Amino acid sequence: MYTGPLRALIDELGRLPGIGPKSAQRIAFHILKVPTEDAHRLSDAIVVVKERTTLCEQCFNVAEGGAWCAICSDDQRDGEVICVVEDPRDIVAVERTNQFHGRYHVLGGALNPLEGIGPDQLKVRELLARIDAGQIREAIVCTNPNLEGEATAMYVARLLTPLGVIVSRLASGLPVGGDLEYADELTLGRALEGRRRIEV
Amino acid sequence: MELVNFRIFGAGLFSPEAEGTTVVTGPNGTGKTSVLEALAYLGTGRSFRGAPRESMVRTGEDRAIIRAELDNNDNPTLVEAEIVPAGRSRTQVNRKVVQGRKELSTATPCTIFSPEDLVIISGGPRGRRDLLDDTLGFLDPEGARAADVVERIQRQRAALLRQSGGKVTADVVSTLDVWDHRLAASGMTLVKARERLVRDLVEFVGPAYGRLAGSEGRALVGQHYVRSWDDDLLTALQAHRSDDLRRGVNTVGPHRDDMLLEIEGREARTHASQGEQRCLALALRIGVHQLVLSRTSVIPTLLLDDVFSELDPARSRALVAELPPGQSILTTAVPLPEGISVAHIIPIGQLVRAS
Repeated sequence: MYTGPLRALIDELGRLPGIGPKSAQRIAFHILKVPTEDAHRLSDAIVVVKERTTLCEQCFNVAEGGAWCAICSDDQRDGEVICVVEDPRDIVAVERTNQFHGRYHVLGGALNPLEGIGPDQLKVRELLARIDAGQIREAIVCTNPNLEGEATAMYVARLLTPLGVIVSRLASGLPVGGDLEYADELTLGRALEGRRRIEV
Repeated sequence: MELVNFRIFGAGLFSPEAEGTTVVTGPNGTGKTSVLEALAYLGTGRSFRGAPRESMVRTGEDRAIIRAELDNNDNPTLVEAEIVPAGRSRTQVNRKVVQGRKELSTATPCTIFSPEDLVIISGGPRGRRDLLDDTLGFLDPEGARAADVVERIQRQRAALLRQSGGKVTADVVSTLDVWDHRLAASGMTLVKARERLVRDLVEFVGPAYGRLAGSEGRALVGQHYVRSWDDDLLTALQAHRSDDLRRGVNTVGPHRDDMLLEIEGREARTHASQGEQRCLALALRIGVHQLVLSRTSVIPTLLLDDVFSELDPARSRALVAELPPGQSILTTAVPLPEGISVAHIIPIGQLVRAS
């Protein structure tokens, strides 16, 4: 249908996650319409992000220049507690709570043999090396509450507990501000399991 | 219900009566069973004929779509399924993607009777396990969930076993430990749910068989759940680990269990006549249907595929008498036995024409 540069752009956009052929076509035509400087800003942003950002050598979060990310370089952070997550995006989610002041460790995924992901493909060895270096006393495993995430959490707990690290898992339960009647049985069941005494 | 590129239908529209019996008539090979297959697919995520996905898609097309509007106790539900043999098939309920047994069965509750049901009795254990797990979808959310989870863990574990290539490294051992623990936990939940279900079914299946077979309760139906391992599942998994690694498959677990069915103390699979087996298969389906009706507010739609062709008129009438009111859809290529009241007859040709 389309040829040359337009075809190439649609194909490239279509390879992005969450973008199907129709979205790719719509975005490509949008780019075709916008002023040249806007298009340049977009392409520059893509080039710059690839040139200037790296993965933190300690926790594998996204780092901007330098070997360490902003969180690992921050002296105010509690070095004794780490939060183990699957993906750098999860750090953003935990950071938004403003309730965690330790550091992170990004595994880069979850155990998923079907997709060929085992401990070797995750940053597990690097996590153990950080534990070996001392200091870390507690690990909070914040993997996703699905089958693969739960398996990964258990795997991490079984590795770290013998090393004297306190390992905990995020609680599952009801969304704040939600309605009980809309909760699915599984979530409600978990919430019942994890109920807490009301302090009076 | 609307069909697009499903089996022989390029486009089809099917509107059965909400209450009472709708009969789909037509010669062989015109798509009567496919209509039921499409409805049942919405409720179970697979073909009740055991057909692979690609055979449900019209030749030359890359995907099939089934769309149905259901009333579900005045709770209007839009269920849409896209069947893509080469890619990811998915089902949406009210435009939200769902996949678990429970979610599918509550959105499109149905009970299917078909000549293939004979295989539940005469075939391997898989058909019997599927029957139990599908029923859990109606009755036991925790058990149904466990069935889905066990299936996924088994797939992950099998992939890990294959990848290890029989080599036992520290990584393989430590990750297998994790999957074994999860499999043992969900597996026990599933097995206990199946065992409970088998006990609950006994009081419905036996009497139903007696009435169908006209044997005045002489035929005693026995049902037992048979675990494929002894003692504790986790211990069994660990005991069979070297075997699993060598063969690259899951050799123990709920996916190897069976439900033993007996008529007068003899195993139905090997000892019963074909007539007895057919009767028992019907009794099982009726038992499930009645158990669901007695325990929940769900009224599954009855789908009867060509069942009368296999039964004598007396048994056909006994079957229909067993079926409670509600919506039922049946297909037939032969005239209906006497004494069966019908609300609506749809010749299959009417479906194909609609666009």
